[in-house]
Amino acid sequence: MNNVDWVQLIIVIVIFGAVTVMGFMAARWRSAGHMESLDEWGLGGRGFGTFITWFLLGGDLYTAYTFVAVPAAMFATGAISGFFAVPYTIVVYPIIFIFMSRLWSVSHRNGYVTPADFVGGRYGSKALSLAVAVTGILATMPYIALQLVGMQAVFETMGLGGNNTLAKDLPLLIAFAVLAAYTYSSGLRAPAMIAFVKDGLIYLVIGVAIIYLPHELGGWHSIFGAAEDKLTATNPATGKPVGVFIPGESGFSAYWTLALGSAMALFMYPHSVTAVLSTKNRNIVRRNAAILPAYSLLLGLLALLGFMAIKANVNVKGLDGLANPQLAIPRLFDQEFPSWFAGIAFAAIAVGALVPAAIMSIAAANLFTRNIYRDFIKPAATPAQEAKVSKLASLLVKLGALVFVLAMDKTIALNLQLLGGIWILQTFPAIVIGLFTKWFHRWALLTGWAVAMVFGTVEAYNVVNPATKKHFGGSLANIPFTDKQAYIALTAFVLNLVIVVVLTIILRALKVPEGNDTTHPTDYLADRGDPGVKDLPELLDEGGASPAKS
Amino acid sequence: MSRLSAVRPAYWISGVLLAVAVVVPLLVSTYAKDEPRLWGFPFFYWYQLMWVFISAILVSICYQLVSREERRRRAAQGLKNPDLHGADEEADR
Repeated sequence: MNNVDWVQLIIVIVIFGAVTVMGFMAARWRSAGHMESLDEWGLGGRGFGTFITWFLLGGDLYTAYTFVAVPAAMFATGAISGFFAVPYTIVVYPIIFIFMSRLWSVSHRNGYVTPADFVGGRYGSKALSLAVAVTGILATMPYIALQLVGMQAVFETMGLGGNNTLAKDLPLLIAFAVLAAYTYSSGLRAPAMIAFVKDGLIYLVIGVAIIYLPHELGGWHSIFGAAEDKLTATNPATGKPVGVFIPGESGFSAYWTLALGSAMALFMYPHSVTAVLSTKNRNIVRRNAAILPAYSLLLGLLALLGFMAIKANVNVKGLDGLANPQLAIPRLFDQEFPSWFAGIAFAAIAVGALVPAAIMSIAAANLFTRNIYRDFIKPAATPAQEAKVSKLASLLVKLGALVFVLAMDKTIALNLQLLGGIWILQTFPAIVIGLFTKWFHRWALLTGWAVAMVFGTVEAYNVVNPATKKHFGGSLANIPFTDKQAYIALTAFVLNLVIVVVLTIILRALKVPEGNDTTHPTDYLADRGDPGVKDLPELLDEGGASPAKS
Repeated sequence: MSRLSAVRPAYWISGVLLAVAVVVPLLVSTYAKDEPRLWGFPFFYWYQLMWVFISAILVSICYQLVSREERRRRAAQGLKNPDLHGADEEADR
């Protein structure tokens, strides 16, 4: 451990310690009683209001990895791979405004905890529900791993790390043990409470950075000037420009498909659904759709920090001697801010990794418990057993992510996360369209999903990085039979939808039996206090987390 | 039938506003340019950041329209208003 910045380290440790205490105290926060059900542990008792939800969703969706990766992408290749995050997080809210309230209502009337629960109930197909659950788990695991990668970048910048593996990985191991312990004991309440600290710190850091840094670096004009110079220069390895400052015509389709595809995928991730289902009534998610864009603004400004890093000429060489753009933002803070403030910024990123990692592991664990354990292994599981299995599963999920980061190459996690985005979008027809109509046939949905999963994976594999010649070189590929680039997830989604529609027509013509829909049309409009919409105590009294219908 | 015709405008207008909020920010060709600049920001960058605000306003309008409509529908069906139901708890959360 050489060149450790002690001021930074002490500040990070103090903030981290405070957050840990909060995480454990959260178990008793607004608790209705026992932690022994999935509603309590895995959905925080389903009682979060507008304000808490805003922090929880904000902390959940805008992760530490986002905060490191988006400016890193801006730093390395510019607008198309980085700034698309802005239209992405603009269009996501009108989209969720349309369908999320319906998911809330149907889930609360039928006791659904995961999106796969809903799909199972709607189409009467355990196979389809399993497909949705497995996709969710597969897509979430590498996402958790990437949170750790974000944390690692910070630790590395602070000078932690060195020649022996133990010293290098120790900070990450400690952070991880702490995270696992309080998620285990406090469930969803822990990240909800920590989200306050995380977001407070992030708003503070970005606010200061966006005012102070341009002043230090000679103004916005010269920042954009430096970015334009770097990104439009020719890359000697490929003979093409290094990046994109403002997309030209050939980049339009890539830009908007990335934004739209990512927006549609975001709320298919189990951790987003978990946060939404933990709200108190039907309208909280809609109200949040109107106020969450505050985070999008933050993300847009943060993306521009990548350009500031270009202007400031930060050195992104990692400890292994290779250039690593993920270091751009931590290094920028380290270089331009006084030590104590850089410490606060690093703490913000590290704590920022804990919130989504906790929610993601809870969400993945819920999927496993409800849609694999209960559906296939032990159908008669009691709520207490479900909560217990979920707690253990969340530990396993996190451990898996840790092994990922420590034992394997970082690029594997990155590749899998890229694939995760492609995969998770393929559950959109079953979940979102299923909220409005049950016209789609269950076998058509399953086939469309399977074909699109394979197609998306193959397409992504075939993208070869022109500089390194490695597969999984990016998330863009030509739309088949055209020369227009598009986000693979969206291309696969269109294919998925076409298959679903065609097969549904055929299967209906052949009168293949559809599944038994256990939901009722009025379920989709139900709200808190309506008959049949269960509040927590009733669920517990009844002794079943999944009421009568399933 | 009167209830159905009362429902329509709120949902119809919201639908249009939401469609605008999704489609317009994705029309890259309308904003992929450098000029005019604002405080040194190329048009491409400040225009998209501006849409964060426009979109938030559009979604807020939809929220007002739709929630008023739903309140009316629920009242007509004799259901409780969950917002009032939990209003006092909301304050201390």
